[in-house]
Amino acid sequence: MSLLTVEHLTMRFGGLVAVDDVGFSAEEGRITALIGPNGAGKTTVFNCLTGFYKPDTGRLALRADGREHMLERLDDFRVASEAKVARTFQNIRIFPQMSVLENLMVAQHNRLMRASGYTLLGLVGAGRFRAAERAAVERAVYWLDRVGLTDRADIDAGTLPYGGQRRLEIARAMCTEPVLLCLDEPAAGLNPRESGELNDLLTFIKAVHRIGILLIEHDMNVVMEISDRIVVLDHGRKISEGPPDFVRNDPAVIRAYLGEEEHEGG
Amino acid sequence: MEYFLQQLINGVTLGAVYGLIAIGYTLVYGIIGMINFAHGEIYMIGAFIAMIAFLILGPDGGGYLILALFTVLIVSMMLTAVYGWTLERLAYRPLRGSTRLAALISAIGMSIALQNYVQLTQGARTKAIQPVIQGGIELAERDGFAVSLSYIQIVIVVLTLALMASFSLVIGKTALGRAQRACEQDREMAALVGIDVDRTISITFVIGASLAAVAGTMAVFYYGVIDFFIGFLAGIKAFTAAVLGGIGSIPGAMLGGLLIGLIEAFWSGYFTTEYKDVAAFSILVLVLIFRPTGLLGRPEIEKV
Amino acid sequence: MAAGTLAERGRAFLPMALKEAGIAAGIALLLALPLVGAKTVSEGSAFVVTPRIVELAIGVVLVFAGRLAIASLRGGHHIPVVAAALALAALGWLFALPSAFLGVVTIAGGLAVACIGAIGLLRARRDRIPAAARIDSARLPRQALAWLGPALIALAILLPFLPFADRRVMDIAILVLTYVMLGWGLNIVVGLAGLLDLGYVAFYAVGAYSYALIARDFGLDFWSCLPLAGVFAAFFGIILGFPVLRLRGDYLAIVTLGFGEMIRIILLNWYNFTGGPDGISGVPRPTFFGLPFKRAPPEGVESFHQFFGIDYASIHRTYFLYFLVLALALITNAFTLRIRRLPIGRAWEALREDEIACRSLGINPTNTKLTAFAIGAMFGGFAGSFFATRQGFISPESFTFIESAIILAIVVLGGMGSQIGVVLAALVLIGLPEFFRELQEYRMLAFGACMVLITVWRPRGLLATRDPMIRLSRRRAPP
Ligand SMILES: Nc1ncnc2c1ncn2[C@@H]1O[C@H](COP(=O)(O)OP(=O)(O)O)[C@@H](O)[C@H]1O
Ligand SMILES: [Mg+2]
Repeated sequence: MSLLTVEHLTMRFGGLVAVDDVGFSAEEGRITALIGPNGAGKTTVFNCLTGFYKPDTGRLALRADGREHMLERLDDFRVASEAKVARTFQNIRIFPQMSVLENLMVAQHNRLMRASGYTLLGLVGAGRFRAAERAAVERAVYWLDRVGLTDRADIDAGTLPYGGQRRLEIARAMCTEPVLLCLDEPAAGLNPRESGELNDLLTFIKAVHRIGILLIEHDMNVVMEISDRIVVLDHGRKISEGPPDFVRNDPAVIRAYLGEEEHEGG
Repeated sequence: MEYFLQQLINGVTLGAVYGLIAIGYTLVYGIIGMINFAHGEIYMIGAFIAMIAFLILGPDGGGYLILALFTVLIVSMMLTAVYGWTLERLAYRPLRGSTRLAALISAIGMSIALQNYVQLTQGARTKAIQPVIQGGIELAERDGFAVSLSYIQIVIVVLTLALMASFSLVIGKTALGRAQRACEQDREMAALVGIDVDRTISITFVIGASLAAVAGTMAVFYYGVIDFFIGFLAGIKAFTAAVLGGIGSIPGAMLGGLLIGLIEAFWSGYFTTEYKDVAAFSILVLVLIFRPTGLLGRPEIEKV
Repeated sequence: MAAGTLAERGRAFLPMALKEAGIAAGIALLLALPLVGAKTVSEGSAFVVTPRIVELAIGVVLVFAGRLAIASLRGGHHIPVVAAALALAALGWLFALPSAFLGVVTIAGGLAVACIGAIGLLRARRDRIPAAARIDSARLPRQALAWLGPALIALAILLPFLPFADRRVMDIAILVLTYVMLGWGLNIVVGLAGLLDLGYVAFYAVGAYSYALIARDFGLDFWSCLPLAGVFAAFFGIILGFPVLRLRGDYLAIVTLGFGEMIRIILLNWYNFTGGPDGISGVPRPTFFGLPFKRAPPEGVESFHQFFGIDYASIHRTYFLYFLVLALALITNAFTLRIRRLPIGRAWEALREDEIACRSLGINPTNTKLTAFAIGAMFGGFAGSFFATRQGFISPESFTFIESAIILAIVVLGGMGSQIGVVLAALVLIGLPEFFRELQEYRMLAFGACMVLITVWRPRGLLATRDPMIRLSRRRAPP
């Protein structure tokens, strides 16, 4: 049984078919990469998965802990809180005027809300809430250590350099304790050293936390090195799927990418 | 039936005024995505300028009434346009690229400032002029109730239709219209292909303000009374009209204006006048809850 | 810098500056021509227009001078500008201009330009000092602010015992504190949660009318009505907020404005219940926990002065009202400071920053906004019932859109989300005009103009510096 099963996913914007009858699956403890030229519909797939867009057709089933969630029927925030799917955004979306640590505390909102008795216990400063808050800070510190931002914990997130913001966004997603992590171009704009660190981080999450990772990425070196399986989209359609070695040599993929380069050249 | 017909005529006239103001909201919203909260005040200023210009020309327009009215209209349009231009320049342009909220707060500040500016310079009292265009056509009569279509109502509706038609042509066919639509869709791209975005936005404000001035001028001659506060309610109703029709859509603004005018006329005609403003607000709330894209607006999916 | 280049720059700069100022003056002329240059006056039953040439001319000259000053400041000519601006302000002070309005504009404008020039001058000077010797200008205001809060609270508590605190001062203080409380309540909605509520006055009205009506129809006293008024207002907040809080920011603003007006119109027209435009008079005055402030209390009731064995003085009630509103305001403040450390408060701020990111983290945006809306409404309701008991009379006239706009201005100008900013803004916007009655007339104009200027200058508000509510390290992180 796969962690995530996508079947017949279609999403239209007016006349434009951004995603056209796409199906694939993702497994626990595996990295599944979603690649394709710009405008292929990768981000749209993420938006459908995480409830931000309502797909025209498609079944998006997530099975974890013996329960099945139909993602296409859930509101965006329920996808995160109930189905435990976390994501990052292609254009970074952190809380710039809040501190790095506060960003990670916001990610643990639902747990802390319950512990604070929906604010009432928190107002009187009950011990239960304080213990939960300490645990939340500990979890935040754990991820800050992993992404190397511990000594920046108290500065405004907006003042972090670009690479730091990308890592913070991943740490924030992990603080929600997801079963599936969707990363939208996490290496975009990173220098080679940062990109290498990102590889290590993703490999670590996969190995130690055993969650499923869906990865949109343009950098082929990254993709080929760390993914277990690759899905290739072009013009909203799936044109290839398989392990890296297969996809690398698939004529359909080569054509799609070469075709794109021809356009860019001409 | 006669009563109904009369309310229909009144409603259409009212709708023409609201529609002209609503176009200003819709144009600005289309191009920079913000509610020009001060647009109602622009309408009020248009009305004041028209009244002052008319009083300067004298009660009978120096003998040439038609010419005088035409002059009043043009003067009001031109001077009000300067207000529209300045408004954008001072309060909105510096905030482009800032948050929506900041722009809206600046707009509210401008609205308060303009209202009080007129109150200070022209006084808080209601101003009145004698009716200028009198008489009308009696359409039907029964049991002593006459349905009349006054000349001023005809002027208002005809003028509105003419402006609408020429205006749709401008937006549809000229380079200015194309520039506006380009800025609407993607301002950065528009700038890259050589469109002067600042200028296009300025012109949009100027057009919106001059149409509001037409509405203000018509209000002066239709109602005969104005005060510094008329912009508030008229602005909100016209905004409701723009939202009802589908904000960003010019035919929508006209349709919305017409509907709001009719609803108001029938509401006051058949129910109570006290709650007629509540009617407009309720429509606004209901439309926004159930159909935020309005009647003619295109649905849009928020980009994530 | 060599003197030659300076002179050259000066020569090239002057025609430019004059041209800019000329254009600005031309536009000002067009703007002012109909509305300043002509005045409608009633003559018998008709209106006629009289010219106002002098005002028009002075106004245009002022715009010319102002624009020239701005251009000169940009060109680096600080000292002459400051001198000229001060001279202008002095002229406006000494000579009677044709209208008070122009006088105010001249003085305020001159002083403002002088201040801007002086600040620019200091900046320019400071840049020449080596960086190490400079005072950390970002930290200084923060430290000052940390002291300002406790100092203001101490001053507020001591105020009635100070020698100059007569009835007038106390009345103004009560008024200012009422607005501080309203500002703090609205700050939860606008400053923290980022929801632009243009109808806050509706909740103020609900609080006031709940108290007045419950007291009238059920005979409950202020202390039992106060929590009820808060509950009613919060309930209204939830009813009104639930359907519309999913709307985008600016639509929400207009809809809340609509709600505010609807409630006012209903209060105005529901004659049997609310008394319509006549309002409700004889709203019970507050008691000192059951002891009324009356010279001659009814039979069997002991009044405040009798209980404490002091002479009757009508100002006792004023003092009591003052401490009452001070306590209410401080409770609002304490609540806000506390809740900002709780998950819900953090979620409000996160929603203000980026709603989409919040949704991706599993935060239910509607519920979270609804709590902010309801809690803000509750404090508005408390303030409303205080208003009713203080006035003894309420009518729909007190709850117009302008009232909402004033409260919003206090929040915005103070710095969205800043508690102390609200106090400073309330002092300036409410307190100053009360002391300078002549300025009353220009208050709303200045309000509007300030809202525009400050938003343009600092879109996030004047004192919008924010410290994290939870820290990993005790010490400040190294820069
Ligand atoms: N909210 C939207 N409204 C209209 N068109 C959209 C929207 N989101 C995406 N699109 C269109 O869908 C297509 C696929 O976009 P996207 O999924 O972002 O591609 P990718 O992430 O693969 O680069 C593009 O043509 C884009 O313009
Ligand atoms: Mg993408």
